[in-house]
Amino acid sequence: MTDVLEQAEERAAVAVDEVARTPRRTASQRRRTRRLLLFVLLTVVAVVMAAPFLWMLLTAVRTPQELFAVDMPLLPREWHWENFSTALATAPFLTYARNSFVIALTHTLSNLVLASMAGYALAKIRFRGSTVVFAFVLASMMIPFYAIVIPEFLMVRHVPLAGGNNLFGQDGIGWIDSWPALLVPGLVSPFYIFLFRQFYLGTPTELMEASRLDGAGEIRIYSRIISPLIKPGMLTVALLAFESGWNNFLWPLLVTSRSEMRVIQLGLSVFRQEAGTDFNLLMAGTAMAAVPMIVLFAIFQRQFVNGMVATGIK
Amino acid sequence: MTTTTAAPAATGRRAPRRQTLARRQAVWGWVFALPATLHIALWTGFPILVAMLLSLTHYDMLNPPSWAGISNYTAIANDPLFWRAMWHNLIIAAVGIPVSMLLALVLAVLLNQGVRGTGAFRTAVFLPHVTATVAIAMIWLWIYSPGQNGLLNYVGGFLGIPNQPFLNSPSQALPAVILVTIWQGLGLKTMIYLASLQTIDQQLYEAAEIDGASAVQRFRHITVPILAPTTFFILVTSIIGNFQTFDLIYVLTSGGPANSTTVVTYEIYETAFQQFRMGLASAQSVVLLVVLVVLTVLARRLTGGRDD
Repeated sequence: MTDVLEQAEERAAVAVDEVARTPRRTASQRRRTRRLLLFVLLTVVAVVMAAPFLWMLLTAVRTPQELFAVDMPLLPREWHWENFSTALATAPFLTYARNSFVIALTHTLSNLVLASMAGYALAKIRFRGSTVVFAFVLASMMIPFYAIVIPEFLMVRHVPLAGGNNLFGQDGIGWIDSWPALLVPGLVSPFYIFLFRQFYLGTPTELMEASRLDGAGEIRIYSRIISPLIKPGMLTVALLAFESGWNNFLWPLLVTSRSEMRVIQLGLSVFRQEAGTDFNLLMAGTAMAAVPMIVLFAIFQRQFVNGMVATGIK
Repeated sequence: MTTTTAAPAATGRRAPRRQTLARRQAVWGWVFALPATLHIALWTGFPILVAMLLSLTHYDMLNPPSWAGISNYTAIANDPLFWRAMWHNLIIAAVGIPVSMLLALVLAVLLNQGVRGTGAFRTAVFLPHVTATVAIAMIWLWIYSPGQNGLLNYVGGFLGIPNQPFLNSPSQALPAVILVTIWQGLGLKTMIYLASLQTIDQQLYEAAEIDGASAVQRFRHITVPILAPTTFFILVTSIIGNFQTFDLIYVLTSGGPANSTTVVTYEIYETAFQQFRMGLASAQSVVLLVVLVVLTVLARRLTGGRDD
């Protein structure tokens, strides 16, 4: 017993000795150097990650001569901001941006209403067939867009009595090159129904019952009492839906050909053929296609990151 | 509950009233769920059935579809280009995903130290993820420009490295594509790791430190095992995402040069919308669907039915 105590005392003494021998200053200095090193390392990583964007901006304001000069300086000799207006004059980027904005906004609103209604029903209302509907939503989530893109294209093309089609959807182009083609298929996404269901699961059912006793109607309970409780979730879905609407490419590529119907990402890829090797104009156009999302991200950084981290999707 | 005291007669009618309430609720359940359910049935459920049916036909959009049996599938089995595309998907996944996951893990641990300006670092790392892939591809097209003033050749010039063809070279194009996928995917992976790291109890580290564990040992024996489910989640979502790469390839290389960067989605696009062989393309998309469903189900099994 005494042995153990003695040993412990000895060990403690040694420890105290060691602490005394190590000068306090070096320990805090070492910590400070470590912090500084970490800071420098992270800065290098951040610069590498941001470099392509910086290079885009630096290129956008150069002259074509400078772009092909052998001794191109890192920073442009003169900053030609008018390259942006030249790019705008070369291709109707404002029209492209407006089209993308209309699609992104429509899909955001439609999902906020329709997907949230379905998610609410699946989470908070017991009804016959709800498990089947939920299983159907889960199964739909697994289906990649590339597996249904061909039938969707054919459906849009063969809508009866649209775009010169007859009653059987033949002879015309259906919805091709028109707004319904861009808007209708993406009105609801099963993934957002699933997300909304998860959000609504966390709301108190007692509140619904109390409201019913107070005489509130079901629509009022959904829209005024329960839904306000999941505002952060609503914002997450809104941001995800808007982002995928703004960044969408393949579907507009397939269903539009007229310049007035093009979306921004498609317009950008078409502009590449028009601008050829004028990389200054090309980068000015790219900046215009990228910046709105970057600004939105800057404002809602936390919600963006949280939403995408929770879902693991692009 | 207390409101019932006002009407004594209500007690007798309670049972049937409840029933109608439940039934009324059931009706409302359908009212709320129906619009979205119908939309998905029409724009996802129906198309997937059509895709399967179409995969058993020859259809060029000019003549009515004709029955093809399984000939489209045998054609795919004997199509070296399709398997080459599948192989490219596998290489991009096998090289790009482990590298970006490792970088993401290290970066997340560094970001978790709470250095000043973490928000700015987070923005820089995450920015490529929220930017449209078309814009990303456009920027890298210029970075990889084979001339002397593409960013990489520009930097290489200072280091005395001769100009490289990058995307114009069949041997360099795929590595170039992989580098972009690493850069673009790093942000999300880092943030997912960071979110998990922040849930780890700091006392574990303190206890290990008292027991004399070094920083590397603490990382190896605390951080890595705790993050294992997260690692698996990232791995699975990345593989599934990788099989759906299209925009990047379309803009950056169009599958070239000499098909050296083509992927499955790009082959589907080419077959359907450039060659108008809708039946064959549908069969290709069914093969892609099967691969992805198998991967997803496998992942669910291995994670023990985790609901995300």
